[in-house]
Amino acid sequence: MTQPEVFADATKAATGSPLIEVSHVDKFFGDFQALKDINLVVGHQEVVVVIGPSGSGKSTLIRCINRLEKHDRGRIVVDGIELSDDIRNIQEVRRETGMVFQQFNLFPHLTVLDNITLAPRQVRRVPKVEAEAEAMKLLERVGIPEQAHKYPGQLSGGQQQRVAIARSLAMKPKVMLFDEPTSALDPEMIKEVLDVMVELAQGGMTMIVVTHEMGFARAVADRIVFMSDGQIVEVGPPEHFFTNPTEERTKLFLSQIL
Amino acid sequence: MSADAMRPPSRSGPSEWMRRNLFRTWYDTVLTVVFGALALYVLARAIVFVFVDARWEIIEVNLKLLMVGRWPSEELTTIAVAVAMTGLLIGLVAGLVRGRQVRAGTAVRPSIGSRLADLAGRFSLLIGTALLLLALTDTAGPWTMAIATLVAGVVGRLVGGWLGSRFLPRWVTRLGALLIVAIPFVVFFYLNRAVPLAAWEGFFFNITAAMAGILLCFPLGVLLALARRSRLRLLQSMSIVYIEFVRGAPLFVLLLMANVSLEFFVPAAIAPSKVVRAITVFTLFTAAYLAEIVRGGLQSVPRGQEEAATALGLSPFKSMLLIVLPQALRNVIPAQIGQFISLFKDTTLAGLALGILDMLSAAQVITQQPAFRGQGLIIETLVFVGFLFWVGSFTMSRESQRLERKIGVGER
Repeated sequence: MTQPEVFADATKAATGSPLIEVSHVDKFFGDFQALKDINLVVGHQEVVVVIGPSGSGKSTLIRCINRLEKHDRGRIVVDGIELSDDIRNIQEVRRETGMVFQQFNLFPHLTVLDNITLAPRQVRRVPKVEAEAEAMKLLERVGIPEQAHKYPGQLSGGQQQRVAIARSLAMKPKVMLFDEPTSALDPEMIKEVLDVMVELAQGGMTMIVVTHEMGFARAVADRIVFMSDGQIVEVGPPEHFFTNPTEERTKLFLSQIL
Repeated sequence: MSADAMRPPSRSGPSEWMRRNLFRTWYDTVLTVVFGALALYVLARAIVFVFVDARWEIIEVNLKLLMVGRWPSEELTTIAVAVAMTGLLIGLVAGLVRGRQVRAGTAVRPSIGSRLADLAGRFSLLIGTALLLLALTDTAGPWTMAIATLVAGVVGRLVGGWLGSRFLPRWVTRLGALLIVAIPFVVFFYLNRAVPLAAWEGFFFNITAAMAGILLCFPLGVLLALARRSRLRLLQSMSIVYIEFVRGAPLFVLLLMANVSLEFFVPAAIAPSKVVRAITVFTLFTAAYLAEIVRGGLQSVPRGQEEAATALGLSPFKSMLLIVLPQALRNVIPAQIGQFISLFKDTTLAGLALGILDMLSAAQVITQQPAFRGQGLIIETLVFVGFLFWVGSFTMSRESQRLERKIGVGER
């Protein structure tokens, strides 16, 4: 089986022009090195799934992309803006980047509608009526418009995660980061969240997804990145990745989870 | 064996409850009899004291002194108007909150009957006490005030409910909010013009000092809590030094210091009045405690909340103001109200420390009047003072529990 060369090269975008460029990034937590010389380029409309054993630095990587964690060495450029210590740059990158967390992190004291409209109104200064109309459209899209006036605590886990996705989309981000979005969900709710993510990917959203859902990775990913011990071990399209991995560590990992 | 036969026999009824909880073993029985007898004895003595032995005429004669001190009689109308305006304000706010909830669909509109029953249940103690105080007066003034306050409250509630459930242009809502915030200031200046703040006495002083202290210490306490968590070392250490210093000193000592040592620094001519000094000390003192309570609340909000707000592009300031702080404050309502109740009761210390004729001081002074001297009536007056403070504290406590339930809707 021949694989297109470009898909196996982490430093080139698989589709479209580069949107995110991560080059030579190191990250330390005290003495522990969480990321070691990470290089990754993600193109417009590309879906990259990051897999790997726990503690391999997957979450740290995507948390560096919107500066929830500060990288210690190397460069991260998002949509032409380099993440530096300049707070304006950071804020600009955060506005362009949506993030969905494992624990949803919805705001429990606000209704679903207020959760979604908060950032557009506060950050983008969208008028209330407009923001609410947009929020209802997004709730429609994730399939729960009838929950608009409830509080997060009144929803199921799957519904909460769908609200969290809608909340991120409300900022009209150029890229969506997913940090194990289904790991805290009961099995019967995983599908409803994955369905939304599949729809999103098909709609042309650029996505970086940290997940253990191999079915999702196989179906949706343009490229799969396998990480271990803070390093990118192997990159490739799903068909290559699941049928014919080259690295020993990848084979070992896949044999453990498949 | 059928399932019915396996189930342990369930008996109920008062006799079964008593057997299980009061007379289970022989020593249970002994304890029940001894402490039951003791409780009955104390209760009987209390009833006999309150309804037979006590000479409540000392309260009846001195009611005005206890309530408002030496406030001039011809200016009592001012207080009546101020109280009625406060009633209007409370009704207005309650109505607006309710109206907005109904409009947003987060509250249902219950029948008037059940609303009234709910209110009567919540404030039965307060209403009962007000009626008791009214029964002790022999003039028409307090009755007029009570009725005016009630009417103002109802009018405020109706107007507020009507306005709140309607869509209003933004400038109208802004103006309305401004007016509502202005009412307490108007009331204050109205009262202050009749009788300057420095001469406010009796229970009126206790209530004013407590309300002023609560309102003023709140922002200060929150700022101190934020400063203590700040990454700016200087700000952080200033906050820590302040909190630890104030918490380390007894309130009474601080009040005494405010009384005697201020003249060292400030010329007597511009030194603030004793009432202002007392309020200042209460504010600074309670702020230190509140800061620690709020800090606890801030720590109780999961880190993910701030991360989610940050990831959405909210600035650190907005993420604190809109996401973290509201949850933090909600999580520590019981502790906050506890601190406010404490402050309310501590206002009685100002009498002894600063020589202000607050309700407790008045209660002691009146036992020295020629008509009552040497008759040991201090018990009656102390019981009366204690009772009024208890009514206030208990109402605050109950309302705080209700508030907690109300805004706990989104609890996860």
